[in-house]
Amino acid sequence: MLTELSDLPFGATAIVREINTSAHDLNCMGLRIGKELKMITKQPIKGPVVVLIGELEIAMGLEIAGRIMVETGTDI
Amino acid sequence: MVFSSDARWEMVDEITRQTVTYGTYKQTLGAVLGDLTVKPLTGIPVAVAALYAFWSVFTSFAGELVTDGFMVKFFDGLWLPWFQAIWPDPGSWHYFLFIGNPAADTCFEAFGMLTSGLFVSVGVVLPAVFVFYLMMTLLEDSGYLPRLAVLMDTVLHRIGLHGYAIVPIILGLGCNVPAVTATRILETKKQRFIMMTLLAIFIPCGAQLGIMMSIIPDLIGVVILCLIIGFGIFGFVLNKIIPGENPEILVDVPPYNWPVKEYVIKKLWNRTKGFLKEAVPFVLLGILLVNLLYLGGVIQGLANLFEPVFVTWFGVPKETVGPLIAAFLRKDLAIAQLSIIPMTAYQMVASVVLVTIYFPCVATFVVMLREGWKELIAAIAVLFVVVFIYGGLIHAVGILLGVA
Amino acid sequence: MTGGKTEMAVLVPERGTTVLMIGNPNVGKSALFNRITGANAIVSNYPGTTVDFTSGTFIGGGRTYTIIDVPGTYSLDPRDAAEEVAVRMLRDYPDAVVMIVLDATKTDRGLYVALEVMERGMPCIVAVNMMDAAHEKKISLDIAALQRILGVPVVATTATSGEGVRDLADMLRKAKVADIGAIAQRMRGEEPEREPAFTCGGCGGCGGR
Ligand SMILES: Nc1nc2c(ncn2[C@@H]2O[C@H](COP(=O)(O)OP(=O)(O)OP(=O)(O)O)[C@@H](O)[C@H]2O)c(=O)[nH]1
Ligand SMILES: [Mg+2]
Repeated sequence: MLTELSDLPFGATAIVREINTSAHDLNCMGLRIGKELKMITKQPIKGPVVVLIGELEIAMGLEIAGRIMVETGTDI
Repeated sequence: MVFSSDARWEMVDEITRQTVTYGTYKQTLGAVLGDLTVKPLTGIPVAVAALYAFWSVFTSFAGELVTDGFMVKFFDGLWLPWFQAIWPDPGSWHYFLFIGNPAADTCFEAFGMLTSGLFVSVGVVLPAVFVFYLMMTLLEDSGYLPRLAVLMDTVLHRIGLHGYAIVPIILGLGCNVPAVTATRILETKKQRFIMMTLLAIFIPCGAQLGIMMSIIPDLIGVVILCLIIGFGIFGFVLNKIIPGENPEILVDVPPYNWPVKEYVIKKLWNRTKGFLKEAVPFVLLGILLVNLLYLGGVIQGLANLFEPVFVTWFGVPKETVGPLIAAFLRKDLAIAQLSIIPMTAYQMVASVVLVTIYFPCVATFVVMLREGWKELIAAIAVLFVVVFIYGGLIHAVGILLGVA
Repeated sequence: MTGGKTEMAVLVPERGTTVLMIGNPNVGKSALFNRITGANAIVSNYPGTTVDFTSGTFIGGGRTYTIIDVPGTYSLDPRDAAEEVAVRMLRDYPDAVVMIVLDATKTDRGLYVALEVMERGMPCIVAVNMMDAAHEKKISLDIAALQRILGVPVVATTATSGEGVRDLADMLRKAKVADIGAIAQRMRGEEPEREPAFTCGGCGGCGGR
C-alpha cells in the first residue's frame, strides 16, 4: 500500500517508491527510491520526522515527508 | 566524461555492492540514547535537564567558586589596594586612566585599565567563558546538536528559520563571530538574513552572560526572558516582511560519540586562547577610550544630548550613554560599567537588555560585513528600529507593572 | 611534518601541491586535516562544522603541500552557502589534487560526490575514514577492490587514532586522474582495454596489486 511518509506510523518500516520534492537533496542524504526506511520519531504539532535508513538517520520537515511516497505491507 | 545523476547513483550502488558488506551488530548504548533524546516524550525533559545542568555548572563553578571565591578576593583585596598605593598622583590623568577612582573599594568601581580592565576580563569573564566553552564543546562533540535541532524545529520554523538554526544560536551564545559565519548552513538568503540579524540583536555572548551572572545574579533570568521574547517577536515579524523562502529542516543526524578527550582539551584551549588574545585587549582599549572621552567631556555632553530619549523613552538613567559607547568595543565591559551606576531593578534590566540588543560588537560587525555589506546595512537598519521599539515596549511593560 | 613557511620559500609551488579535502559533511575531513598538517581546525560531531576553508602545510617526499580543508558537501550542486564554498574551491584551484574523504559507515552516499569530482578530471586520492566505527558496526570494506575499481589510491584511515594517516599523506604524490569511463566499464563487468598502470605504495591492504 502506498502512503505518504508523513503518515507512516512511529516504528513502522516501508520502502521508498516516489520522491516528489527536491529529490536530488534527499538522494544525496541517502534517501533514495527502493531503500527501506524506518520511522523513528515524529514530533508533535507538525514537527519534523526522523527516519532511519540503514546506518543513516535523517531529520526532515513534515511537508517534505508528505511528498515522499512509501510502500508498506506484508510483502516487504 | 559527465554522467547524469541517475547514472552516477547506479555506479555508486554497483561499487558499494562490490566492496562493502554489512554485518549485523547489537544496538549500542549510543543508539538507544539517541532515540530517547529525539523522541518528544523523553527528548524535551532531557533537553530541559541538560539546560539546567549547564546552568548550574555555569553558575556554581564559574560564578561562585572561581569568581566570587577567588578572583574577587584577589582583585579587591590585593591587586586594587596595591595599585592604589604605589601609583603616584591620585589626581592625575594617568591615575584616572590606569587605576581609576582612588577611593574605590572594588575593582568594578575603580574603572581603570589595570584595575577594572583586568578584573572584568580575567577575573569575571574568563572563568565564565571557560565553563561555557567546555559545555559547548561537549554539546558539539557528542552529537546532541542535531537532536536539539529536531526538538526546536517547530518553534524555529514559525520565525522563518528551521531547527538547524540552533547551531548558530548555540555558537552565538559562546561568541557571535563564529556564529555569523555558521549561518551559512542555512539554505536561503532570507533565513541567513533573519538569523544574522537576530544573532546580532538578541543573542548575548558567553562573556556577556558571564558578567551578567556576576553583577545581576537575581535579574539575569528576567533579562534572558526579555531577550527570548524579543527574539520570538521580531523573528516572527521579520519572517512576515522579508521576501524569500523558508525551506524546512533536512539534516543528517550523526550517531552519538563520546567526546574525544584530546579534541575537547584542544578546542577548549584554542577558544580560551582566542578569548585572551582578542577580548582582553579590547576590554582594556574600551576602558581607555571611555576614560579618555570622559576626560574630554564627551560622555557628559552625549549624556545630556540623549537624556530625553534615555529617560523618557527607555526609562533608564542618562549615564547609560557611557556604557553604550563602551559596548561598541566590548559588551561585557559595558555591562560591568552599568553596575556602578545607581539604578532601580527595572532600570538595570532595561539597560542591560539595551546594551545587549543595541549594536553588535566590533568583531561581529566585521564578520557580518564579510558575509555581505548589503545585508549588514539592512541588519543595522532593522537593529535601530528594533532597539527603539523594543526598548520602548519594555519601558511600557515596566510602567504597566508599576516598576518603571 | 608541519612546515614553517620560511625554509620552504625557495620552492616554487608546483602543479599538484595544493590539496583540497572534499567529502560529505561530518566524515572527519577536519580531523584528518589536523592530523596531516598539525593545524587546529574545529572538529565537531555535527554536519556543517566547517563553513569556510582553512589551509595548512604538509612536507613529504621533498614537496611542500598546501592542504585546504573545505566545508563538507553532499554534491557539487550546492544546497547552502557552506557547500557553495566547497564548489568554489574546486573551481578556483583547477590544478589541485583532491583528497576525497569517505565515511566508511556511509560509503554509498560519499561516493556520489566522489564520482562528481572524478568526472572533473582532477587528480584524486581517496581516504576511507572512520574505519574504527565501521569495524564496530561490522561493516567490512574491500579497500583493495575499491582501489582497483576507482583506479586511484585508496587508503583506510581512522582520524581519531591517527591510523592510516601517515600512509594517506605519503600517497598524496600518487594521486591520479580517475578514468571515469573505465570505471563505468569495470562496473559493467568489462575490462577497459588499457589496465591503468597503477602500483601500490605499500598501504598493506591491497595485496600488491
Ligand atoms: N570514530 C571516529 N570518529 C571520527 C573519525 N574521524 C573523525 N571522527 C569524528 O567525526 C566527527 C566529525 O569530524 P570532522 O572532522 O569535524 O568532520 P568534517 O568532515 O570536517 O565535517 P564538516 O566540517 O561538517 O564537513 C567528529 O566528532 C570527530 O571526532 C574516525 O576516524 N573515527
Ligand atoms: Mg570540517
